[in-house]
Amino acid sequence: MHAHAHRLLALLLLVLVGLLGPTACADPPSATRAAASVRTEPLQVIFHPTTGPVEVAIVNTSEKPVAIGDFRIEGADWASFSLVDPMQAGVLRPGDRTTLRVAVDAASLRGPGEPVHGSVVESREELPEIGPNDYRPGSAYLSFRASGTTATVPLSLESPSWTSTYLWPALIKVLALVLAFIMPLASLLTWMERKQSAMMQDRVGPNMARISVGNFTLRAWGLLHIATDGLKMLFKEDFVPRRAHRALYTLAPLLAFVPAIVVFAIVPFGDALCYGHMFDSLSQADVDQCAAGRGGTPLQIAQIDVGLLYYFAIASLATYGTTLAGWSSYNKWAVLGSLRASAQMISYEVAIGMTIVGALLVYGTLEPHALVKAQEAAYWGVVLQPLAFVLFFTAAIAETKRAPFDLPEGESEIIGYFIEYSGMRFGLFYLGEFIEVVFVSAMVTTLFLGGWNLPLGILGAHGFSSALACQLFFAGAGVALTVTGAAIWRASKHAEGVASVLVVIGTMHLVVAVWSMFTGWGTALPHVAVVAVGLLTWGLKVLGLCWLQLLIRWTLPRFRYDQLMSLGWKGLLPLSIANIVLTAFVVYALTPSAPAPAATDKPVAEAGAKPAAPAAAAPPAAAEPAAPAAGRPAAAPTDNKPAAGH
Amino acid sequence: MTIGVKKVSLQRSMRDQIFLPAILEGLLTSARHFFKNTMTKGMGDVDTIRYGEPDVDPKTYYPARYRGVHRLMHREDGSVRCVACMCCSTVCPAKCIHIVAEDRRDDAEKAPASFVIDELKCVVCGLCVEACPCDAIRMDSAQHMTPTEERAEAVLGKIELMSRGSRSVAVQGGHGADYRATEPAADPRFPTAR
Repeated sequence: MHAHAHRLLALLLLVLVGLLGPTACADPPSATRAAASVRTEPLQVIFHPTTGPVEVAIVNTSEKPVAIGDFRIEGADWASFSLVDPMQAGVLRPGDRTTLRVAVDAASLRGPGEPVHGSVVESREELPEIGPNDYRPGSAYLSFRASGTTATVPLSLESPSWTSTYLWPALIKVLALVLAFIMPLASLLTWMERKQSAMMQDRVGPNMARISVGNFTLRAWGLLHIATDGLKMLFKEDFVPRRAHRALYTLAPLLAFVPAIVVFAIVPFGDALCYGHMFDSLSQADVDQCAAGRGGTPLQIAQIDVGLLYYFAIASLATYGTTLAGWSSYNKWAVLGSLRASAQMISYEVAIGMTIVGALLVYGTLEPHALVKAQEAAYWGVVLQPLAFVLFFTAAIAETKRAPFDLPEGESEIIGYFIEYSGMRFGLFYLGEFIEVVFVSAMVTTLFLGGWNLPLGILGAHGFSSALACQLFFAGAGVALTVTGAAIWRASKHAEGVASVLVVIGTMHLVVAVWSMFTGWGTALPHVAVVAVGLLTWGLKVLGLCWLQLLIRWTLPRFRYDQLMSLGWKGLLPLSIANIVLTAFVVYALTPSAPAPAATDKPVAEAGAKPAAPAAAAPPAAAEPAAPAAGRPAAAPTDNKPAAGH
Repeated sequence: MTIGVKKVSLQRSMRDQIFLPAILEGLLTSARHFFKNTMTKGMGDVDTIRYGEPDVDPKTYYPARYRGVHRLMHREDGSVRCVACMCCSTVCPAKCIHIVAEDRRDDAEKAPASFVIDELKCVVCGLCVEACPCDAIRMDSAQHMTPTEERAEAVLGKIELMSRGSRSVAVQGGHGADYRATEPAADPRFPTAR
């Protein structure tokens, strides 16, 4: 046993060193290829045909003033790209930044085009067929002189293909999220529910399932109960009551299970992944470009502007599952249970909708990814909307139909809506419930806990905001891990393997913190490390909230039915409306733009007069500089974030 | 004389009405138990006896005076110590001990021809052990009576009872009728008064 644990430990150490080694030892890559004295944000500009002018910022990262000038666009397709404003040569003081804007004339790259003069085409078959209305890839680079050297920013035009830009990344994200996060976590929760409740009630809990191969026995604190549960459900009799409505009886578990999984489409679990720059330290501009689908993909399955409305739409479908399950079972107790379920879910959905309006007023968006970005820029939702946080969490727990709101099921006394279900049909209800728990955690994380962000903005797209933040983060994480590991080591001799791994990882964090103290390391992390820390942060927040929900479920007694209704309609709903009104007043009072209504009135009036005006939707500040952009007709609708707005 | 009526106020305070402080208190209590039981040595407050788990010897959990399945002790020559005095079967409240006595040829004592205990009737009170004058029957086997397929299997005879037994170091027959005259062996528990 001991020898085994030690071997495992050595292996893990090796793997960790292998993983951390390249990360730690890699020099912060110089942002621009030629000049180390300036950095451009983004490193590379990728256009889609519909992309408007893109801002490129030049930042002086050296200690001395840097003279910049001589801006020009070169390369194969130089004629298709242009600088929007004429740029003057100037001097950048240390830390200063200047911005210039680059646009693409996509129309000039439409169609197969002429072969580049002087180029040798080796084989025509290798070239993809380009139709008259397709765009051919264009590439050029922006070059400028910075203190004697030349810096370049690659520019390229890509035509987004439906499959490779949207379909495959989405499918991979779906598979990764469902198979690597939701299902494992939901299965884990079936075990955690019993083990955690046991630990809270001074019991032992499930610990008997084990695998024995020869002398080696794996018990793992009863974790294998997950597998035994699944096997049990698969092999149990699939019972259908004789007079049940067979079609609906079969459909109901699916209607309870599928919406719970499908709502995850809008949950952002990270900012964005840039394919080409995994080991570069990127700026926020790069990541924003990737989040728009240019050269990367947002870490969110569906980035739809009405994301939260989609959530309400899909989540309310789950009511059908419970109602139909009760009705189709041909069992009066099941019908009564399903009536309780639908009444409860409808009541609490109102409260959920109302609580979110507060967050909408503060952050001004319904799109979860943008919501998280807004929290990153300001404060987290839990700080700005503490009341909404409590109300939303309460109502969301009621939506999952678990204690203290488990009247629809009432497993200990009354009979629930799935009384007649057995086998894997029951398993779908059971698992769907835990997936809802995961979803509620993910939603609270997104709306109120800043998604994948670390607190106080200490981790940006490029790395930690300062070396001190890096040291604090690593020291804090190291101490927490080491202390936890030591406590687990003391607690149980079976857990020595896990505990020693925790202690080793924690010690490595401490070493990194000390190392950062001497080298100032940490402000320029590789993109992949930043993404990994973001994913880990998001996962830990979700896991922690799942733990909290289980703690609530096993602490609070069940509400009586009238208490449930009065809490929903006379407690949560008025409070959430009060929250909306209060938030609206505060937001109105604090919004600095007093002339804002006048400014927004104008385009609306114009739109009324000329309904066909395409630029009417864009705020005037953005539309104005775009007009002389190139003297081109019909400014294409922009798909990048309204960068010109501020 | 008027009857005093005590009016109990059902007026709930603000603190009661918003639930949250009480809920937080409850959550903290639960969380304290959770962390104590997961993070401290020996699983904190969990007192469960882990009987029957594969790597756990249940005997380590039995107290010293645990009353298990009966056993009959042996003499030095391996024969049964019991002298068929019927003390145990007389004192047994469940009437589950049945002894048939016979003459023991080698000395002046009796012996059980058959000694049968119906473990299904036994109430595990331990009175038989207390009643036995010659340390013949004991319940210190640290064994549960295991479930059996047939009722008859739970009725234990002399052979089975003796198979659990071992040699007793007590003097057979005690110190005899004149035990008051003989010097008792020095017992470290009791200081000698003389």
